Amino acid sequence: MTYWAILSDINGNLSAYKAVLADIKRLRGQVEALYILGDLIGLHPQCEALVQQVRQPPKGDLEPQVCIGWWEEQCFNLYGLGSDPEAKELLNQIGSAGIEQFWQSVSRETVQWLRSLDFGFFELDCLLIHGSTVGCDDMLTPETPPMQLLDRLLRAEANTLFCGRSGLAFQLQIPEGAVTSTVTTLDAPAQTMTQTVRDRQIIGVGSVGREPEKATYTLYSPYTNEVSFRTIRYGTQGKGFGTV
Amino acid sequence: MNIAVLSCIHGNLEALEAVLRDIDQQPVDQIYCLGDLVGYGPYPNEVVTRIHELAIPTCQGCWDEDIVDGLNACECSYPSLLAETRGRLAHEWTNQQVTPETRTFLANLPLTLQQDNLCFVHGSPHSQHEYLLPDTSAFIALERVLATGADTLFCGHTHVPYVRNLENSHLTLKVASPSAHPPANSTTPLPSLKHIINAGSVGEPRHGRPNATYVRYDTDTQDVTLREVEYDYTQTCAAIVDKGLPAIFAWRLSRGLEFAEKADDPTHVCER
Repeated sequence: MTYWAILSDINGNLSAYKAVLADIKRLRGQVEALYILGDLIGLHPQCEALVQQVRQPPKGDLEPQVCIGWWEEQCFNLYGLGSDPEAKELLNQIGSAGIEQFWQSVSRETVQWLRSLDFGFFELDCLLIHGSTVGCDDMLTPETPPMQLLDRLLRAEANTLFCGRSGLAFQLQIPEGAVTSTVTTLDAPAQTMTQTVRDRQIIGVGSVGREPEKATYTLYSPYTNEVSFRTIRYGTQGKGFGTV
Repeated sequence: MNIAVLSCIHGNLEALEAVLRDIDQQPVDQIYCLGDLVGYGPYPNEVVTRIHELAIPTCQGCWDEDIVDGLNACECSYPSLLAETRGRLAHEWTNQQVTPETRTFLANLPLTLQQDNLCFVHGSPHSQHEYLLPDTSAFIALERVLATGADTLFCGHTHVPYVRNLENSHLTLKVASPSAHPPANSTTPLPSLKHIINAGSVGEPRHGRPNATYVRYDTDTQDVTLREVEYDYTQTCAAIVDKGLPAIFAWRLSRGLEFAEKADDPTHVCER
């Protein structure tokens, strides 16, 4: 059995990332691809060290495929390169002191590299993205209206959507659905057809760095469609904690 | 109550006057307009003045937005590359013609209008640039109506009028997150009947004939009438050429067609 390991929301937390990498190593080569769905950086002093590790993984480690997230977009805004050059959303969230700290923790060279990252990935029938194709700030959770969840899948023509943004680990399956549509135009009489949908799913991949000493990520087998979540306790050696 | 809904007038004053005359013959209590007052046609200021003086509730179209904010959308503003090239020429001409009063009027238009269980938008509730076509996925179409909280969504933007009823819908959702033991399985009850009504285009129709189109709607019986109004479109065609707009706009107005290839992804929402 081989898996994709899918991470998000590392938020500059190098210790958490290393704990996840160590867990992946314990799976003894079963992981064939490593994805990071945005929010690689965040309000954390280890941002630069984390980016260096991601860009230049130790020999033998998987090379992560990284896309942008909400924090990367805020970083672009801060550098006047985004759609909100005054960074109002970021200012509202972390205040001016937080902005100063964020500015100090991400170098110009890192910003240049972040700018080269993709908005998301489409692999097989899966979309891997931070929020959704609507935007990095689009937060999907188990509370999101089902029709909105389906919309995000249909927009991308994906059967499975992996997302971060909320930090939650969840699996929402849409086994089936139907809508009957009748269209009348000026020149054609009413035409009725029923559209159906089957076997789609949205996976929240969890958060690696948001919660201290606890990292959650997702394993996915593209061959069996199996999804599992792994939670790692780190920084607590000798206290009886490990993978859950 | 009977309402008339107009869209996509595109600076075509003759077509607008013909539609207003037709409305005068109908039992109509209120008129709504779904935007795109300007662009392509030769009388942008005159159309805006007419809508303003009649106090017709109007939402902002993609052309109105682009004249106010400048062309800032990607190619998704147009159904094709060919249409984009022509659209840019029309944008530059219109941008030079509009008065400060017209620009201010367009800038202050709302993106959506809501009246009881009716919602009015130009393209879709999510974007003035999104095309809700008759063959857009029924699930996506239903999501757009549900997003408004209304039962009936009036839109334009495609320039081809249609009525779409969405019913007998259901969606099963199974929650299998780590916190849900055992997994919860629920079939979401969706509203029994929703409608999308596309008002077509007054001034730049694309349904295969040069006639202006609009819709009439009875809020009590929910009856919809797609209206098609003949007028002397040759006057507008002549004015298009006389005023220096690309002659292609006169040619296609006289045929009621958009001579361009179809968009690859009409549901694409521009993030710019």
